Amino acid sequence: MNQMTDFTRNEARPMLRVSGLSHRVRLETDTLTILQGVSLEINRGESVAIVGRSGSGKTTLLGLLAGLDTPSEGVVELDGAEISKLGEDERAKLRASRVGFVFQSFQLLPALSAQENVMLPLELAGIEAPEARARELLERVGLGERLNHTPRQLSGGEQQRVAIARAFASDPVILFADEPTGNLDNRTGQAVSDLLMQLNREKGTTLVMVTHDERLAARCGRQLNIEAGILTEPETAREQADQ
Amino acid sequence: MNAAQKLMSVRRDFRERDVRVVLVALIIAVATVATIALFASQLQRTLVSSASSFLAADRQLEAENGRPVPPEWLEEARSRGLETGQMIEFSTMISGPEGFELASVKAVSDEYPLVGEVEIQQQASDGAREMVASGPAPGEVWINPRLLRLLNLEIGDSLEVGNLPLKVTRLLIREPDGGFRLSSLAPRVMMHVDDVAATGAVQEGSRVEYIYLFAGAEDALDGYYQWLEPKLGPSHEWEGVREGETLSRSFDRAERFLLLGGSLAVLLAAVAVAVASRQYALAQRDTVALLKTLGLQGRGIGRLYLRRLALWGIAGIVGGLLVALPLFRVLVALLSEALERPVEVYLDPSALLPALLTAVVSLFAFAYPPIRRLRRVPAMRVLRAQPGETGRAALPDLFIALLAIFGLVWLYAGELVLVGALLGGLALLLGVLGLFGLVLMAVLRRVNGGGNAWRLAFVGLYRHRQASLAQLAVFAMTIMLAATLILVRTSLLSDWQTQLPEDAPNHFLINIAPDAVEQVDAFWADRGAPLENLYPMVRGRMTELNGQPVKEAVSKDERINALNRELNLTWMEQLPEDNEIVRGRWFDASDTEGVSVEADLAERLGLELGDRLTFTIGSAEITEPVVSIRTVQWDSMKPNFYVVFPPEGGLVNMPATWITSFYLPEQKKFALNDFSREFPTVSVLEIDHIIGRIQDIVQQVTQAIETILALILAAALVVMAAVVSATLRDRQREGALIRTLGGRQSLLVRSTMLEFALLGLIAGVLGVLAAEAAVYVLQARMFDGSFRWHWQVILTLPLVSALLLALFGRWQLRTVLTVSPMLLLRRLE
Ligand SMILES: Nc1ncnc2c1ncn2[C@@H]1O[C@H](COP(=O)(O)OP(=O)(O)O)[C@@H](O)[C@H]1O
Ligand SMILES: [Mg+2]
Repeated sequence: MNQMTDFTRNEARPMLRVSGLSHRVRLETDTLTILQGVSLEINRGESVAIVGRSGSGKTTLLGLLAGLDTPSEGVVELDGAEISKLGEDERAKLRASRVGFVFQSFQLLPALSAQENVMLPLELAGIEAPEARARELLERVGLGERLNHTPRQLSGGEQQRVAIARAFASDPVILFADEPTGNLDNRTGQAVSDLLMQLNREKGTTLVMVTHDERLAARCGRQLNIEAGILTEPETAREQADQ
Repeated sequence: MNAAQKLMSVRRDFRERDVRVVLVALIIAVATVATIALFASQLQRTLVSSASSFLAADRQLEAENGRPVPPEWLEEARSRGLETGQMIEFSTMISGPEGFELASVKAVSDEYPLVGEVEIQQQASDGAREMVASGPAPGEVWINPRLLRLLNLEIGDSLEVGNLPLKVTRLLIREPDGGFRLSSLAPRVMMHVDDVAATGAVQEGSRVEYIYLFAGAEDALDGYYQWLEPKLGPSHEWEGVREGETLSRSFDRAERFLLLGGSLAVLLAAVAVAVASRQYALAQRDTVALLKTLGLQGRGIGRLYLRRLALWGIAGIVGGLLVALPLFRVLVALLSEALERPVEVYLDPSALLPALLTAVVSLFAFAYPPIRRLRRVPAMRVLRAQPGETGRAALPDLFIALLAIFGLVWLYAGELVLVGALLGGLALLLGVLGLFGLVLMAVLRRVNGGGNAWRLAFVGLYRHRQASLAQLAVFAMTIMLAATLILVRTSLLSDWQTQLPEDAPNHFLINIAPDAVEQVDAFWADRGAPLENLYPMVRGRMTELNGQPVKEAVSKDERINALNRELNLTWMEQLPEDNEIVRGRWFDASDTEGVSVEADLAERLGLELGDRLTFTIGSAEITEPVVSIRTVQWDSMKPNFYVVFPPEGGLVNMPATWITSFYLPEQKKFALNDFSREFPTVSVLEIDHIIGRIQDIVQQVTQAIETILALILAAALVVMAAVVSATLRDRQREGALIRTLGGRQSLLVRSTMLEFALLGLIAGVLGVLAAEAAVYVLQARMFDGSFRWHWQVILTLPLVSALLLALFGRWQLRTVLTVSPMLLLRRLE
């Protein structure tokens, strides 16, 4: 137990290590293989884009990397903890302190104001003075004037900025983003991704982003391709990574 | 307040539609159950006390042998903490300055009445009446207004009872115990017991009854009776309110109805809570997935929702009681109005227990299971909608729910028949519904879409088939439960109506000599108040059963009033309409032997057909076999008999007098004066006051029943609203889409209304039929009424439910029609 929940940071280790990851789901008549033999390593502070067509398995992979789901096969090691072996609650605990998320559909709670949405992970992680910190973060993403507005009163771009503020609120070591601009128009998307990359750089967070937008992917330090559940890394990118 | 707290805050929570439905359902359930339980216990207490006042005490001991009981008997009672009182009843001549009349005298001690009040009038001229808790003082006499007129007296004048002059100080309007005693003769004179000796009217051997009154705690009374019983002689009769009590018999069924109503409220609320909380849980899945993603653990989620549930429970209980208590007050006020006397509010705390239990069980058995499963919502849901849970996951819930319903209703109604009928009806309904759904869907699948409203409606039903079937099930169940209640209420009320119609007999004539029968009959026929059936009456005692003394033949602790006194025996040719043979056969013209025995008495004596009963009549003894056992409507206000002989049977040549009952309207009561003059030996028993009182109470209980019915129908509407709102979002989105895609509004409206009307019609038909099935069982087993089809309800209810649902559907569409599709789609994102 102790061993499993001991998530002491090991600076030498990669932030994320995946090997032999496969994911299958059982359908009514047969089984569908969504991911097959995925292995990869992501170092601390790296920003990685996973690019692929719709339906190629990106979201599934992201969910497994972040410990939202457990794989059919293979090992996922996040910040030194083998999350594929942890129970639900232990994974939740890990997420509360170390992992941030940005979603395509924002996933703000409609009942809460912008500020309260940002406060939520702070409270769950037991961080002091969540209100002040949430305000600070919302000011940082340019929504200092909209603290008390509910998601319904905000535009898509604004909602996503709240979500970004929330993602960084608990100072995660790693941030997962699933098509963060997928629901936004080009210019808004551009602005949101600017904000995301900027904050990421400032905080030195490791970023794993899934997208089918090549331009957004290009802004990450490293790109991975996924096709029909098989992950490939372009030569150039791997050489860069190896250096 | 922090965000997590705020997220779970009561105020925010209560703004959600599903939570409101759960709350309203809980409030209605708690309110209904609490109101019913409180009122039932109030009614019980009030009726027992008003029944006690029929005796002017809790118990009476009558000595019919014309001798007082030993004084030690009364001392013993007082030493056991009982209140005692005494009355002496006898007939004698009363003389005034202008003549004399035979009167029935009741002499009472200072304590009289121990329970209840005497209604009097101070002056003959002005009709103001008042209630007093005592009888006349020594030297005074209170008399019936009729006697005042007969003797041409004024208040303040003197009259003589036997040898003793007494001053008339009040008019006696009504005595609490003036009820059903057949020996009481009209007109009545009431005087003080201490004056009796001086009248000289009561002598050894004269016909006089000594009656002793007792009041006190139930266990003290029981203890005293145990002490007393071995000392009682054959002419002593111990009377309590429990036996032969007309009122409580009438209200047995009212109470059962109330219980039925309460059970239905519980069932309906359970369905509403279950549906709404499932809906709520489904809507909460995204929140839970997000909270998990943000790191909240399963335990934390469980705690969050349990806290919520607890808050709902508290809100439901508090809200329900806030509704129940004033409602209960109103019902008590109505009761007091009906009884024409103040009723002490009796707030029985234990009556609140079922309400609390209902709230708690509803929450934990119906609301909690779907919410509990929220813990299992995969965090992955934040990234992609997960396949919805299968129906199988909800199966254990269904099992728990059924068990809980069964337990609740059983605990609440305490009637296995009730639980069986309701749950059986429901199960039958669901079974038929399942089959029906399969067939319906197979048919609907064939219908092609198209621009026609009918087709769209059919396609709509098919497209939402899961929701449609679920709605169908809930609607049909709701309609069944509501219809059951309406049907039982209707037949209950009509039973009462037939049992105590406006012109129910309200006077008895007793002691009619055989040769006067024809004249008496003619007397009343001439005055437009014809007599009902006339019965001969022979007084006799049941002494032996199959050759054994009957008191030995039955177990000691059975107290059978019929054995403690002379029975009224009769003969008749035709079985009275409201009697029913349960075993054996009714006499035919050739029968010269045999008796027919009342069913309760037969059961308590353990009588079988063919058992031989011996009766002592005067000095004669006759023995007859039991040839039939028969039920009697004791509350019919007609002469009723435990034992009936055939016309040419054992009672031939026995000394008989005749008895009859008839309806005499208030404005013809003066004719009683002439009657008493013309037939001085015939006793008149006036029960019009009592009948009026019972009718008042019936009316009041009817009002209570209607109130509760309204509450329950409200619960039914809540259930329907809960279910319809479950598909609201889908429908609104669809409506918006149809409009976006260019569908005409009128088409959308018509097809939606048709779709709902179809649902309503089908649910209505199935629900009503299931209700008939349940009512069939209930009528036969619980309300001992006869079953008949209720065509009106069968035909109208489905139409009403179709119409209601169509309107409901139309109402749901309102936003879809008025708001721009753009806005809607965005809002429904
Ligand atoms: N639980 C599931 N059941 C059935 N099919 C699934 C499930 N999860 C994912 N899929 C399928 O797996 C493929 C990959 O899905 P996803 O990871 O969402 O792809 P992407 O995010 O790249 O569009 C899709 O074809 C999707 O339909
Ligand atoms: Mg995806």
